[in-house]
Amino acid sequence: MLSNVFLKTLRDCRRSLPLWGIGMALLALWVIVLYPTIGGIYADYLEDLPPSLAIFMGGVSDIASPEGYLSIEIFSFMVPLLFLVLTIGFGGSTIAREEERGTLDLLLSNPISRWRVVVEKFAAMAVITMLVALFLWLGLAIGATIANVEISFLRMAEATLSGALLGLAFGTLALAVACATGKRGLSIGVAAALGIVSFFLNGFAPLVEVLEPYRKLSPFYYYSGAEPLINGLNLGHAAILLGFTLLLVAVALITFERRDLAV
Amino acid sequence: MSVMIRTENLTKFYGKNRGVIDLNLEVQRGEIFGFLGPNGAGKTTTIRTLLDFIRPTRGSATIFGLDSRRDSLEIRKRTGYMLADLTLYRNMTAAEFLRYFGHLRGGVEWRFVQELAERLESDLSQPIRALSRGNRQKIGLIQALMHRPELLILDEPSSGLDPLIQREFYNMITEARDDGRTALLSSHVLPEVERLCDRVGIIREGRLITVEHVASLKERALRRLEIRFAVPVTEEVFAGLPGVSDLRVENNTLHCTVMGSLDPIIKAAARLPVVDLISHQPSLEEVFMTYYGGGDEHAK
Repeated sequence: MLSNVFLKTLRDCRRSLPLWGIGMALLALWVIVLYPTIGGIYADYLEDLPPSLAIFMGGVSDIASPEGYLSIEIFSFMVPLLFLVLTIGFGGSTIAREEERGTLDLLLSNPISRWRVVVEKFAAMAVITMLVALFLWLGLAIGATIANVEISFLRMAEATLSGALLGLAFGTLALAVACATGKRGLSIGVAAALGIVSFFLNGFAPLVEVLEPYRKLSPFYYYSGAEPLINGLNLGHAAILLGFTLLLVAVALITFERRDLAV
Repeated sequence: MSVMIRTENLTKFYGKNRGVIDLNLEVQRGEIFGFLGPNGAGKTTTIRTLLDFIRPTRGSATIFGLDSRRDSLEIRKRTGYMLADLTLYRNMTAAEFLRYFGHLRGGVEWRFVQELAERLESDLSQPIRALSRGNRQKIGLIQALMHRPELLILDEPSSGLDPLIQREFYNMITEARDDGRTALLSSHVLPEVERLCDRVGIIREGRLITVEHVASLKERALRRLEIRFAVPVTEEVFAGLPGVSDLRVENNTLHCTVMGSLDPIIKAAARLPVVDLISHQPSLEEVFMTYYGGGDEHAK
């Protein structure tokens, strides 16, 4: 597990990663197992809500269906929130913490180029995000089986993947800021702030006329706008999230390559 | 002899803050070159430029004849680096850490690593977080030596170590030199440099003041001398002796500063009954004074 930066970075997560995975799986399991019991009540309750709030909470047409229930209960808020916490924390820290603590100098005194460190750290982040997504999906699938909820496993996988791509985009944003500045707090702050802004932009845009044209600037739109839980993964939207991520990787590589490392 | 490290007008500013200015340095193959200066003089800046952690504002550096920026990977492959206040990965054992770095170097001979560890009495099975500073320094030295690099770059390697470990450090660095390797060693303590180095470059406020052989450095160093006599003496007896300055007599004791050989003043003193003689090791500051001139400043 110590033969390169990628594996070493994964190894550093060998305690936290299982906790993340199990936590995500249990959350998903819990929510979906409750559907047969509270799904109906829940739908009644939501129908009493002002329509605008319902739109904000996911904008799913059929809220009484398992898809509608899951959209509102976990995919509208909990899933992106947790993915963002995971990836922003990781992306903002993985290189910046080494720089702040002083291990980066020693690491780079080895014959390994800076761009390779960035690429391997990014790859580790991508793998970790996908593993957590896998656990989330497993929780959903097991829960749906136990509670006899009629829902497509594939669609759940697609919605989960969409969430992972969203998380990866914001994690890479944090990584890029960290690579450009070397500052962990700053990179996490910037990525988290932009995450919150784009969450609300996407949520409010259908309700507020002046915001509507800007909705497509929000990465959240490409996460849930096409309702992957019902319609499957929108490849165009997924490509935009992925393209945004790769663009940020390029920013990270270029800025990290060019600057002075902090002591 | 061939040149291992050469810097040409190497200059580094951090914004408006000085790092180093027009540094021209040459380190020859097979020598231990001491890089001597107070903290903040620019030693670490120079070293971090050589390893491409930071980029020069002006000028250039070559190591093994390779450009420090363009050929950094090749340079780092052939170089071992260690710094004073090194931090290691706290969640690994020393052995795991060394294996990791060994892999990044494309594999090292593990038996040699163990050999180094044995000599330093370093227990590699310990988690790094449980190691004392001195023991972490040992791991730092092992990782710098384990791939048998042609060049060692050591930034205050022994600062803060207890004397026993320090001596083992010195031995290993000297052995590396005897093996034909080259070392650039920065330090702010004169005795360390005196003991280890063949030549010394003195840096102050970002500028290289001089490069000297250690022997001639000591020769030219100012030495404070106290001679206590059994009888009252006057300053006049010693005035005008070559290299002697700052003469002062207090309670039958002569205080003075001598540059170079002590012979003239000893001969002069020998004509009188001497009770005691104290020669102070020249401190780094006093060595600097030699190059900054002016005994006046010395008195401040």
